[in-house]
Amino acid sequence: MNGTPRILNRILIGILGLKLLAIGILLLLLAAVPAVGRWWQGWSAGVWRIWRDLFERTRFPGRADSWLWIVVVLALLLVIGVMVAWIAQQGKGRANLLVVEEDPGEVPGNVRIGSGVAEQGLRAALADRPDLAGVTVATYEFRGEPALKIRVQPRQGVDPQRLASEVSALVEALDVAIGKRTPVLIHIAAGARSRFGRAERVR
Amino acid sequence: MSHRFDHPSSHRSPVPAAPNAAPSAGSDAPAGNGAAGMEEILKRETRSSRAVASIIAAVLVIAMCVYALLETAVRAIGQPPWLVDPETAAEQVAALPNGVPPLLLGVMGAVLVMAGLFFFLTAVLPGRRARHLLRDRRAAVVVDDEVIASALARRARVAANLSQDQVMVTVSRQQVEVNVRPTSGVPLSPDAVRAAVRDELRDMGPSPLPEVRVSVAAAGVIGA
Repeated sequence: MNGTPRILNRILIGILGLKLLAIGILLLLLAAVPAVGRWWQGWSAGVWRIWRDLFERTRFPGRADSWLWIVVVLALLLVIGVMVAWIAQQGKGRANLLVVEEDPGEVPGNVRIGSGVAEQGLRAALADRPDLAGVTVATYEFRGEPALKIRVQPRQGVDPQRLASEVSALVEALDVAIGKRTPVLIHIAAGARSRFGRAERVR
Repeated sequence: MSHRFDHPSSHRSPVPAAPNAAPSAGSDAPAGNGAAGMEEILKRETRSSRAVASIIAAVLVIAMCVYALLETAVRAIGQPPWLVDPETAAEQVAALPNGVPPLLLGVMGAVLVMAGLFFFLTAVLPGRRARHLLRDRRAAVVVDDEVIASALARRARVAANLSQDQVMVTVSRQQVEVNVRPTSGVPLSPDAVRAAVRDELRDMGPSPLPEVRVSVAAAGVIGA
């Protein structure tokens, strides 16, 4: 439920994959089929000549170097910047506020409830349970609205349906306390802590 | 493949009265448009975001660009090249099957094809995660298949009176496989195990609901 740009990820990974595939197949064919080697030498020699002419024509007056090199440097820097921006998009979308609303009462002003209220409240309520190996609560912004993600790691053998209904009872109590229904996602997860920990025998 | 989310989502049904329903904004507070987004959240949670593959791809591209940048910058200020001059490199590429042993060329091609296939398939395949949805009156619930498997294993173990090592359950999207190794000399009825697991699964109600298959090993366990 975080703001990872999924379609963009698919498109960019797909483009990179296709390019690598094409280069790899070309190298394989060059290594295996002599006719492809002859075609490649003829074709690439033509392309290389065009580029060399371009570099010849774009020299600084009175110097041996072309200003096209500077353009190439700038283009590479741009690509690096775009890639860094793409990495920064992964997993973003955490929110700090759970409620931002105007107070309808007589006192002017508005109400802000930090996401820590819900996160710490739920974590404290679930902390003492013996059937859980770990709890994480995080607030994400989903479509401009805060949403809670509760990730619980039960021990082995715990009934997920009962666990879910008990957690959602806590969420309903939180609704009453805060006065607003926030979208909630409960993720009942398996992890190393639940896998190697002891099995829950009591419940 | 159809991927239905027939999760009887509580956010559309009438809101059940919250415990000690407060007369204030408590239970009749507007659900907000987040309710409509719940399906979207569930859809996102059951699919991979491909964040790891994206980061690997971006780092690869950055590494290539940084190397090219280094050589180009060195060339632009008229210094000797670090590993290879861009022009020499281009000439070598243009002359390709010559100058490189065919075996090396083939291996490089094969490695690139593998990497390309990995990225391409990651992008194109649906990327479903091993998770099921549960119905709940208030929240959207996703469960890792491993949690379902361990709950079912516990139920099967209790039903057949076995120890923990004798039952192994694997849960996939459409199927639950229960592998039981009976105790030597103690008869075990697969139907009882199947009924117990199916019962538990029906109570749990994961969506999509998988089929149950029980297989009892021919060799028993001694002294369990």
